[in-house]
Amino acid sequence: MNPLIPIMVILPICCALLLNLFHNKDKTVKILAIVVGLVLPIIPLVANYGLHYFGGYSPLIMDPGLASEVPSLITGSALNIFHPAITYTFASAQKIFIFILGIVAFFAIFTSLNEIKKPSGVYAFLMFMGTASISAILLSDDIFNLYVFFEIAALTQVGIILCSGVERNYETALKYMLLGNIAAPLLLLGIAILLGLTGNVNITDIIYSLKNGLVDPQNPSFLLAGGLIIFGWLYGSGLPPFHSIKSAVYSKALPHGAALLQAFSVFTFLALGIIIIRIFSYLPLTQWVIIIFSLMAMILGITMAIMQTDFKRIIGYLAVGELGYIGLGLGMGTAFGVTAGLFQAVNEAIITAFLFIGFGTILYKTGISDTRKLGGLLSDNPWVAGLVLMAGFAMAGIPPLNAFQSKLQLVQASIDAGFPELGIIMVILSIITFMTFVKVFYTIYLRPRPQDLKIINETIPKSTIISLVAFLVICLVLGLFPQLVTDNLSQFAQGLI
Amino acid sequence: MNLYDIIINRIKVIPKKAKEQEPVTNISASSVLAAEITLISSVLIAAIMIRKISPILMVVVVLALFFAMVTSAPIMPRLKKEQNDSYNNMIFYVTLTLGILVTLFYWGANNV
Repeated sequence: MNPLIPIMVILPICCALLLNLFHNKDKTVKILAIVVGLVLPIIPLVANYGLHYFGGYSPLIMDPGLASEVPSLITGSALNIFHPAITYTFASAQKIFIFILGIVAFFAIFTSLNEIKKPSGVYAFLMFMGTASISAILLSDDIFNLYVFFEIAALTQVGIILCSGVERNYETALKYMLLGNIAAPLLLLGIAILLGLTGNVNITDIIYSLKNGLVDPQNPSFLLAGGLIIFGWLYGSGLPPFHSIKSAVYSKALPHGAALLQAFSVFTFLALGIIIIRIFSYLPLTQWVIIIFSLMAMILGITMAIMQTDFKRIIGYLAVGELGYIGLGLGMGTAFGVTAGLFQAVNEAIITAFLFIGFGTILYKTGISDTRKLGGLLSDNPWVAGLVLMAGFAMAGIPPLNAFQSKLQLVQASIDAGFPELGIIMVILSIITFMTFVKVFYTIYLRPRPQDLKIINETIPKSTIISLVAFLVICLVLGLFPQLVTDNLSQFAQGLI
Repeated sequence: MNLYDIIINRIKVIPKKAKEQEPVTNISASSVLAAEITLISSVLIAAIMIRKISPILMVVVVLALFFAMVTSAPIMPRLKKEQNDSYNNMIFYVTLTLGILVTLFYWGANNV
């Protein structure tokens, strides 16, 4: 048992509760949030791989003392190896995902504390609580425990939108909650059916039951559970038909909030996507469903992005489109494809946060996100504009930045898997992503400045610039040394397939 | 009248029908045009994957999609209108997706 595994969830929860208590004590909120934010990405780096059984209830097979007191009827059955406790698994992939989540959370919180005039304990509470929930979703091998944190994450996302003060944020938050009221109970119904058929909510045990004939894999109810869990996955990650509301959610949050929200979506997408592959990969339909919804996300997300005029909405749609690349990697069903998809997820979480915080400087300076009312801002902060340009290059997959490596791997994987069409579509949509970014960059920075454009804040906070530089460094490091991440992800992918 | 003019005229007509106040600028027209071409080309390339099921079916579907999409162009302004922030639209597509997924998995998973 490794105590650092539950700490990855417990620490941000405790920090969130304290921040809520210290809401009006600005200095305490700042110090506590920064210190805990700094610690979050360090924990997965120092923690050893392993399992954590809550309550200490390990499987009987691992506890010979207890097993000797139990009737042989139990120890001689599958119950001997089943997991009675909520089990958290910390392996090579979780290490990378929680580290990257911690990095995005830290810089989002760090930026927010300095961009908001008065640090809000409640806002920081929501950010930490969301981070804790997504960490739990990534770690949990218990599908019901995962669902509980899935719901907490959804509520914190609504809270982050409500805290933004952006026009019509309440309406978007309400719509997101109402749609969640349809999708989340259906996800729970899928989990309940799995529990009813297998008598278990532990994913490893459900897979054992499937492989050893304890449950009929062709049982229509079992297959229905698969459909319902996939439906919950679409909601949690923002794939079509939830792409419109997800992009609206990003656009109604403050840029640092949106940077974190998209990371939540990426990692929820991964966690549920991996579970779907683990349990239902024996069905060819699952692979096709993942590929079709990922393609729809890419095509609809990127074509809708190019037609928007609000830069927050544009990045929101691009973020949805980029999710499609990850899904294609997972849907290819090969170890190389899954590795490339997971690497793309890591890159997307970083790059989209980079873009949101980068373009957030425009909102901070002008209070405007409508590109038709902006222009000529290059002369104000040319260095920041340069950093935003690099973020756009990274998203489009321009070398030597990180998404170049992951997108190249995805194209190679698509050819290896016998789907060269997917590679062609990925290349076309990367070009359109770049075109969309260039359009936004031109309208904001390069064209003549509108006469009525007013600058509200002259100076961009140093914390924002530090965050942007840090994101750029990560993009460069992962672009030049992708093996830092792909070695770990490859191990995980080979175990998955 | 060439295809470009047809598309631009349609782009001008649709916002009027939708009672949108935005003027049609060069940037918005080129954006719609780029999105339109991307949509058509991506859908057609994706349809080629049907070759995994049946090469003949793939040819039929690709040709049918090509004629359907070219004759109904421009699709993007209508698609944009359809993917607005209306709760009614969202709930319609959510319900439709749920119905398709449940049908496919409950009745069709063993046959696909």
